[in-house]
Amino acid sequence: MLYFIEDTINGILMGSIYGLTALGLTIIFGVLKVINFAHGSLLMVGMYVAYWAVALSGVHPYLALVVVIPVMFLFGYLLQDIVIKPIFKAEKDVREPVTVIIVTTGVWYILDNLSLLFFGPQYRSIQDNPLRGKMFELGEMLISVPKLWGCVTALITAAGVYYFFQYTRLGRAIRATSLDRDAASLAGINQYKIYNIAFGIGTAISGIAAITLIPFYNTFPTVGVSFDIKGFIIVVLGGLGSIGGAIVGGIIVGLIESVGPQFMTATWTEAIVYGLFLLVLFVKPSGLFGEKNDW
Amino acid sequence: MTGNETLAPLDNSSGSNAGPLSVSGSKVTDQGVNPRKKFETISLAALLLIAFGLPLVMRSPTYLHIVILIYFYAYLTSSWNMVGGFAGVLPLGHSVFIGVGAYTSTILSLQYGISPWIGMLVGGVLSMGIGVLIGLPTFKMRGAYFALATIAFAEGMRVMVENLDFLGPFNLNGPRGLQIPPLNFGFLNFMFKGKEPYYYIILIMLIGVLVLTWIISRSKLGYYLNAGGEEPEAAMALGVNVARAKLIAMAMSSFLTALAGTFYAQFSLFIHPKSIISLDLSFEIAFIALIGGRGSIAGPLLGALLLRPVSDFSRIYFGDVFPGLHLVIFGVILILVMIYQPRGIQEPLTRAYNRFIDRLSKEEQAKEVS
Repeated sequence: MLYFIEDTINGILMGSIYGLTALGLTIIFGVLKVINFAHGSLLMVGMYVAYWAVALSGVHPYLALVVVIPVMFLFGYLLQDIVIKPIFKAEKDVREPVTVIIVTTGVWYILDNLSLLFFGPQYRSIQDNPLRGKMFELGEMLISVPKLWGCVTALITAAGVYYFFQYTRLGRAIRATSLDRDAASLAGINQYKIYNIAFGIGTAISGIAAITLIPFYNTFPTVGVSFDIKGFIIVVLGGLGSIGGAIVGGIIVGLIESVGPQFMTATWTEAIVYGLFLLVLFVKPSGLFGEKNDW
Repeated sequence: MTGNETLAPLDNSSGSNAGPLSVSGSKVTDQGVNPRKKFETISLAALLLIAFGLPLVMRSPTYLHIVILIYFYAYLTSSWNMVGGFAGVLPLGHSVFIGVGAYTSTILSLQYGISPWIGMLVGGVLSMGIGVLIGLPTFKMRGAYFALATIAFAEGMRVMVENLDFLGPFNLNGPRGLQIPPLNFGFLNFMFKGKEPYYYIILIMLIGVLVLTWIISRSKLGYYLNAGGEEPEAAMALGVNVARAKLIAMAMSSFLTALAGTFYAQFSLFIHPKSIISLDLSFEIAFIALIGGRGSIAGPLLGALLLRPVSDFSRIYFGDVFPGLHLVIFGVILILVMIYQPRGIQEPLTRAYNRFIDRLSKEEQAKEVS
C-alpha cells in the first residue's frame, strides 16, 4: 500500500513535468492550429542551452532560467518567422495546414541530427548540482526533490500562462487570433506577428520544462523523441489548446507510467498509454477540456 | 521574342497541367498522329526498355541494391499517395502495414512452410482489414488529429509486437525480430541468390501500382477523392460519399503497402520491429511524397529518385563522420520545396515537359506545312 502511495505521488510529480513539456505544444496548437512535431526537438535544444548554461557557470540549475527563457523565446520566434511563416502564407486559405505539420517534422530531423553532429551521441548530465539525487522523506516514503521542484514550477508556469492569456492585452490579442484569425486581422491585429509570439512563448515554455528536467535527466540528441510522442498524447487527452488540460493529461500519463508497473511489465504501460490515447481520440476527440469545434 | 510567342506556351500549359501522363493540351492535328501522343509512346517505351535492361548493364550489386530501394520506396510512396495524396489527409503510420505484410508472410513461411507469395496476399488482406478499421473512426477527424491517430496506432502496434513473443500460436519473437534462413532458393520460396530477380519483382510491382494510380486518377473514385480532399462540405453537398471513397482508397493503400512489406522481408531476410514498424519509415514515405508532389502520379517516383540516392550515398560516404546527414538534407530539401514549390518537384518538371512537347509539336507542324 505504501509503495502504491509513493508511486502515485511520484507519478503525479513526474506527470506534471510531462504536462509542462506539453504546455508549449498545446499553446502553439491553440493559436496556429498546427501540431508542432518539432516540439520535442525544441525541448532538446532547451536542455542543451540549460545544460551548457549550468555547466559553464556552475550556478543552481533554476538560475539558468534567466538565460534559457529569452534564448528559447528568440529561437522559437525566429524559427516561426523564417521557416514556418512562408509555408503558412502559401496555404493561408486552408484551415488545417497539413503541409506545415510535415514541415515541422523536417525541423525535427534537422535539429536532432545537427545536435548529434555538434554535441555527439553521449549522454550529458550535471554531476554536481544541488538537486541531483536528493530525496525527501515523508514518513517512510521517499519523494524525489528535483521532481517536486519540477511539479511546483509546472503549476506556477501554467498559472502564469493562464493569467497572461486572460488578463493582458497581448494575451487577449493572441486569443482573438486563435478564435478567428480573419476577424482578428480586421481588428488590426497582425496575425503573423501573433503567430511568431505564440511560437516564441511555446518554445520558451519548453525551455522552462528543460530546466526542470536537467537536474535528474540526461541530455542527448534524441531526448526529445520520447517527450514528443508523449506530448501529443497528453495534449489530446487534456484537449488540444487547453492549458489546464495539458497539466491534467500529463498527470494521467505520469500516473499510468508510475503505478502501472505494479500490475504489469513496465513496457506494457506504454501500450496502455497508446490505447487510452486512441480511445479518447475515437470517443471524445476534443479531450477532457478541449473546445468542441477545434477538432 | 514576339508577344505572340510568349503567349502561346502559356495558353497551352494552362490546358495541359494534368501531369506528364495525360494526353490533353497541344493542338491535335487532323492529319496524322498527335505528336504529343507519339512522343509519349516512344519515351515510355524507352523508359521501360531502360528499366528492364538495367540489370544487364549494371553489374555491381551495391548499385543494384540502391536502385531496388529506390523502386521500393517509390512503390511505398505511390501506395501511400492513394490516401495521403488523393484523399488529402496525412497518414503518418503506414509502417504498420509494412509490418503486417512482413510478419504475416514470414510467420506463415517459417512456421507452416507456406510460400511467401501466398503469405503476401494473406498479409495484404489482413492489412486491408486493419486499414479499414483505422479509417472508419479516423476519417471523420481533421488533418492534425488524423495524423496523430495513425501515429499512435502504429506506435502502439510496435510496442505490442516488441512485447509479445507469441500471438496465439504465432511466434513473433518480440523485440529480437524474425530471421529467415537463406536455405530454399527458388521462385516459389521468394528467395534468390542474386539481386536481379528482386529487381524485376519490385519493378513489376512499381509499374503495377503506377498504372493503378493512373487508372484511379482518371476514374470516378479519383474525382471523388480529389473533391473530398479539397472541399469536403461541397463534395458532400453534391452527393459524393466522401467517407466511402476515402475508405476504398485506404483499403487499397494498406493492401498494396503490405505487399511491399513481404517483399522487404524476403529481400533483407530479417525483420525487426524497431526498424520496420518505425516512425522514421512512416515519415520518410510522407517526406518523399511531399517533396515529389502529393497527389500526382509521377511525384512519388521523382521524390524517391531524388531522395534515396541522397540517403544512400551520404550514408556510404559520411556515415561515420556525420551519421544523421541524410536526415538533415531531407529536412532542408523538404522545407525549401515546401516554401518554393508547395506542389512538389513534379510541378516545375511537368511544366518544363509540357513546354518541351509544345515546342516539339510546333516544329512538327512547321515541317508539315513546308
